[in-house]
Amino acid sequence: MDYAGLVRASKRLDPAATSQKIKIALLSDAATQQFVPLLRTLFHRKGVLASLYEAPFDGIELETINALSGLYRFQPDLIFILNSVQALRASFAKRTADAQAFAEEKTRGIVKIWDAIQSHSTATVVQSNFVMPYERYFGNFDLKVAGSFSSVVASINAAVGERARSRTGVLLNDVESVASWVGRRHWFDDRLWDLAKAFCTLDHMPVLAQNMVDIALATRGRVAKCVVLDLDNTLWGGVIGDDGVDGIVLNAHGDGEAFYRLQIYLKELLQRGILLAVCSKNEMSNALLPFEKHPDMVLKRSDITVFLANWSDKAENIRKARDILNIGLDSMVFLDDNPFERNLVRGVLPEVIVPELPEDPADYVRAISELNLFETTTFSKEDVNRTELYRAEAERRDAQASFANADEFLRSLEMRMLVARFDSFHLPRIAQLIQRSNQFNLTTHRYSEADCEALMNDGEVLPLYAKLSDRLGDHGLIGVIVLVAENDELVIRDWLMSCRVLARGVEQTLMNMVVDEARKRKLSKVRGEYRKTAKNQMVEDFFARFGFIQTGGDQNDALWTLSVSDYQFKETFISPAAELVAAE
Amino acid sequence: MTDTWERLQVVFRDIFDDDSIVLREDMTAADVANWDSLNHIDLIVAIEREFKVKFTTAEVTTLKNVGQLAALVDKKRASKS
Repeated sequence: MDYAGLVRASKRLDPAATSQKIKIALLSDAATQQFVPLLRTLFHRKGVLASLYEAPFDGIELETINALSGLYRFQPDLIFILNSVQALRASFAKRTADAQAFAEEKTRGIVKIWDAIQSHSTATVVQSNFVMPYERYFGNFDLKVAGSFSSVVASINAAVGERARSRTGVLLNDVESVASWVGRRHWFDDRLWDLAKAFCTLDHMPVLAQNMVDIALATRGRVAKCVVLDLDNTLWGGVIGDDGVDGIVLNAHGDGEAFYRLQIYLKELLQRGILLAVCSKNEMSNALLPFEKHPDMVLKRSDITVFLANWSDKAENIRKARDILNIGLDSMVFLDDNPFERNLVRGVLPEVIVPELPEDPADYVRAISELNLFETTTFSKEDVNRTELYRAEAERRDAQASFANADEFLRSLEMRMLVARFDSFHLPRIAQLIQRSNQFNLTTHRYSEADCEALMNDGEVLPLYAKLSDRLGDHGLIGVIVLVAENDELVIRDWLMSCRVLARGVEQTLMNMVVDEARKRKLSKVRGEYRKTAKNQMVEDFFARFGFIQTGGDQNDALWTLSVSDYQFKETFISPAAELVAAE
Repeated sequence: MTDTWERLQVVFRDIFDDDSIVLREDMTAADVANWDSLNHIDLIVAIEREFKVKFTTAEVTTLKNVGQLAALVDKKRASKS
């Protein structure tokens, strides 16, 4: 991550090596030019071709208020607003009101910028916070004085964070955390600020640029969903098969604390919705022992969604875990102390994220945390329950094996589905599903939460979500369909589903409903589109399965049409929940 | 110092991504494509790194041409040794 190297690389990027595009706008009261080559290179490393728009220096207000500004003409996907503490300091010096009023006014000013952007654009706003200043006018007493500059910066940061929390379409760029990780002493370069209004030292611009790339990729659904864990010498010290449950090293204080700390870290990830899987070369009975018997195990057996302990190679096991969880390999993080295993997995499954682990287990958490692998753009109730959902799914699979035929099994599940128009309560989860669904996704339009809100309020469009539950538990919100009537056709603009609920009649039930909707509106046809991506092969023949005929487009972007009168309603075992789709 | 000029030329070629740059005493920003205020700080920081010297803000802002830049580098290097 060397500044000069990244700038040099930016001059030789090969657009052919990218598979996605993104449009990023930069607005700042500092200079942004240095970030442009860095962002280009860092996006390129992730297979993304970034085009960048730089607003004129210090043009945050001007560009966002003017509906005809270059910013809006550029039609960015994301707008990064970088506020510098250097500029804040200058305006603090000229304050006319008291310091607290100054803080409130600055916060209001920032929120006003969001308002302006959101009235002209559906771009996701990424607001920075302020790096804490290095100077202390009162020394330690700064903290006791609400009007000290550091107290003012801290209170603006807190207020901006709070305002962003209740706001859809606004994400935060925690520049303060990046700067304090680097160290403020190394972060600030007053001379470069004076010479060129440089945001920080050139050396540390790459880490901030990477932070911005991480945020942007998360809005595209490039997020880690599962951590696959080795056991011996990763989750505890020693080898359970040799040392036994009394012999392994794991405790809250002392030599086993490193492993204990890693487990605490993983438990926190679990509680925010990251799945945990185990992939260990062990006898199953041995591998389970610490989970059942060791008093200092933080992780319990029930925290592990997929538990694989056997002697086959780890790449094969990771593939198996992927199949069970139905998630992409590129959303899996593999932790193993053994360099051989790490390299094997990197070689066989290059999509899997395999962090290099330091030799000393004491440094594990720090090494993993530094990589910022668990970026996200949403957090909803479903995240907290995710492990439970997936565990219930594993149970369903067990049940499936004991039924004579699939129909009997499906009937026994007593599935119920609710389909309803988008509502504000469900927007976060809807947006999250839209960002995360790659495989069962016919058109892969990545609507942001703000886009979803716009759809919700658009009377011309019928944006629907589906929720499913069954005897064994609640699946939550598992599907999104956006319909729009055009002439005599009902057009399926979007159709995506969570892969957790495949092969149980969900898509059949929904298609019945879609065709019924067309009928009710006296439309003679239903039209669908399949836009091929690297990951949605699964639904390539989706429309064909329902009797649609291809009527246009090509292999990569195919249009399919169904004559409503020809449709054969499908038998399913899903009954409607309380309220079905409300007619407009 | 004997190698200042050559090493400066390497830095210039790298920063401006142009291997055909040949430095002259009277060369200014107007003579080099892409030499703007942004590249200027990249250039200054790269030169500082190359020669392990540090310029003050005033020194950076008063430089008129490449000749003065080379002289400044020489002066800094001499005072270091």
